[in-house]
Amino acid sequence: MRMPDEHGYVDDPIERYLDQLLVTLPGSPRQVRHTLAEVETHLLDATAQARTDGLDEFAARAAAVQRMGPVAGVADHPGLGLRLTRALRRRLVLAVLLIGGMGGVAVGIGGVIGWVVRALWGDNAVATPFPSGSYTAADCTRWLAGYPSARDCVTAMTADHANDFLQNAAGCGVLGVLGLGLYLWLRRRWSGAAVATALPRGSDDIVGAALAVVTAVVLLGQGVDAVVVTHANGAGAPFSLAVAALLAAAFFGRQAVRGLRRPIAASG
Amino acid sequence: MRGDQLRGHLDALVLAVLAAGPAHGYSVIVRLRERSRGGFDLPEGTIYPALHRLEAAGLLSARFDEVQGRRRKVYALTTAGQRELAEQRSQWHRFSSLVTTVIGAPA
Repeated sequence: MRMPDEHGYVDDPIERYLDQLLVTLPGSPRQVRHTLAEVETHLLDATAQARTDGLDEFAARAAAVQRMGPVAGVADHPGLGLRLTRALRRRLVLAVLLIGGMGGVAVGIGGVIGWVVRALWGDNAVATPFPSGSYTAADCTRWLAGYPSARDCVTAMTADHANDFLQNAAGCGVLGVLGLGLYLWLRRRWSGAAVATALPRGSDDIVGAALAVVTAVVLLGQGVDAVVVTHANGAGAPFSLAVAALLAAAFFGRQAVRGLRRPIAASG
Repeated sequence: MRGDQLRGHLDALVLAVLAAGPAHGYSVIVRLRERSRGGFDLPEGTIYPALHRLEAAGLLSARFDEVQGRRRKVYALTTAGQRELAEQRSQWHRFSSLVTTVIGAPA
């Protein structure tokens, strides 16, 4: 299938191959440029020959790439995947910013859900007090000073913990938004540097989805534990974060599926 | 014959092909295929490390030329490359003769 992507572009096998070669070739910039020029001419010659043999343009370009063999063969560097080229470093920075930014935003969304839960069911739904004996009278004085309308120390402490959770989640959300903003800026800035081909297609989305699913499972486990052990006291916090983690998993999963389904197609 | 079976012989094969005259990378592959009657079916990209290795060793010279409307890097045997090819041919004849003697002998 040769379907254009969401931007209306189709991926060309030769262009894609040259992108991969660019970010894996060792040597000086001049050596890299010369090898790229040689290989591009070679691929165009092979395409012309395949066209003469009766293939259509796309099949001919794909056949030329296939005959050329793996990029590592041209680069003659078996351990090439482990070399931290500039493109690979940039791609890793983008992946970390995307996954970290989405994680921060997800925690922020978890905070919003937690805020709704607290509004509906009170502080006890999102926070649990410390066990008795684990805090001092001075702690109580501090909590009661912060929440003068609280009827006792435990109520003030729980309200304080609930606020801590919501404030921390909001902070993570802000950091996540900043991370995503930086990600978008750098992605645009590096758009011509072939960073997209420095890692296998969809790899950062798959890592993001896996991390989000693991996080969601752990948080759901904590929520269930809170329901069973503490009779739902404080269960709202892990459940809120679990919902946000599942949203993040859905986002990354959708991105990964779309990326993997996008065909490597020719323009010709 | 697969590419990995040719490993170790590729440099000599490239020198032999270029003894017929200067050529660019794609042309070297075509000559290899034709002279082996299609027997050498190696990934075409593997020719470039060999060409670059031989160029770096001074056995080939290279320059960019405009050929058939495209800018191509054309390789040619140097004098050192011709000497190396002669040496490689001599070694190969001796080696293949010994292998044939051993493998071809009745048990």
